[in-house]
Amino acid sequence: MASTAATRTAAGAAKVVKPVFSRDLDEAKRRVRELYRAWYREVPNTVALFQLDITTRQGRDKVREMFDKNKHVTDPRVIDMLVIKGKMELQETIHIWKQKTHVMRYFQETEEPRATDFLSKFYKGHDP
Amino acid sequence: MRSLEPLTWILITCLRSSSRVSYNMAARVLQQCVRSLARPSLGLFPVNLALRAAVAPAVTVHRPFSFAADSRRMRWLGQSRISSVELLCRQYGDLPPLTLETIKDRVMYVLKLYDKINPEKIQATSHFMKDLGLDSLDQVEIIMAMEDEFGFEIPDAEAEKLMTPEEIIQYIADKKDVYE
Repeated sequence: MASTAATRTAAGAAKVVKPVFSRDLDEAKRRVRELYRAWYREVPNTVALFQLDITTRQGRDKVREMFDKNKHVTDPRVIDMLVIKGKMELQETIHIWKQKTHVMRYFQETEEPRATDFLSKFYKGHDP
Repeated sequence: MRSLEPLTWILITCLRSSSRVSYNMAARVLQQCVRSLARPSLGLFPVNLALRAAVAPAVTVHRPFSFAADSRRMRWLGQSRISSVELLCRQYGDLPPLTLETIKDRVMYVLKLYDKINPEKIQATSHFMKDLGLDSLDQVEIIMAMEDEFGFEIPDAEAEKLMTPEEIIQYIADKKDVYE
């Protein structure tokens, strides 16, 4: 992968690489839109089936957030890989191979927010 | 029996028989006779009574469509004489027909309900991305709302080109064969 990138930058022009699914950016964006549609339509069913304690709007906002996280990607192959991963998640959600905890993991904060006041810093250790 | 007027003969057949086959046959013969009413014919008064009476047993569920089509066709052909035939016409539950005005109203109503759009600023020619500052995923959401409103699928290849409410209205009118 690194060598391919190096040869690409060294040549100065875009090197033709073997595509994953889509040949250009437009096709990749189309796949993204199709995936977004599928997820958008699936959210109310998910909330009902898993008996989640969130509203449909919150679910849809979370879907939008996950899609916006990768908004900056421009390589069609990377976009295709992300779409494939999204489709796998969608399949697992539709068929209820996941459980409630797996779905709620999207809503969990992954990083702890940094402590600001003295007492929280004291409890964490001496880190003023 | 055959010497009687055909309609009264049918009436008697219907009232007598109770089997499905003869109902169908009777209905078909009744259709043909009713069709012949469109051409100027004599002695319609006894026919009217016979027709009204024949509605109940003869017009069964088996042949509703062709029957209604026939009676509607006849309404065009002769209005004044065939007043009783209109009683035979069935009314089916269906939405009111689409016009460009109704499509425009519905599209604008759905767009005003969308929370990322300011309802005062939206017009028929405002571009989603340039004027209203929406995302491509927002545009997908809008197209999905239109799909839910009008009840038919809009494929993504054509959906990505619809960037203003005017284009959406034109597309829906195109697909639903609405023109003025």
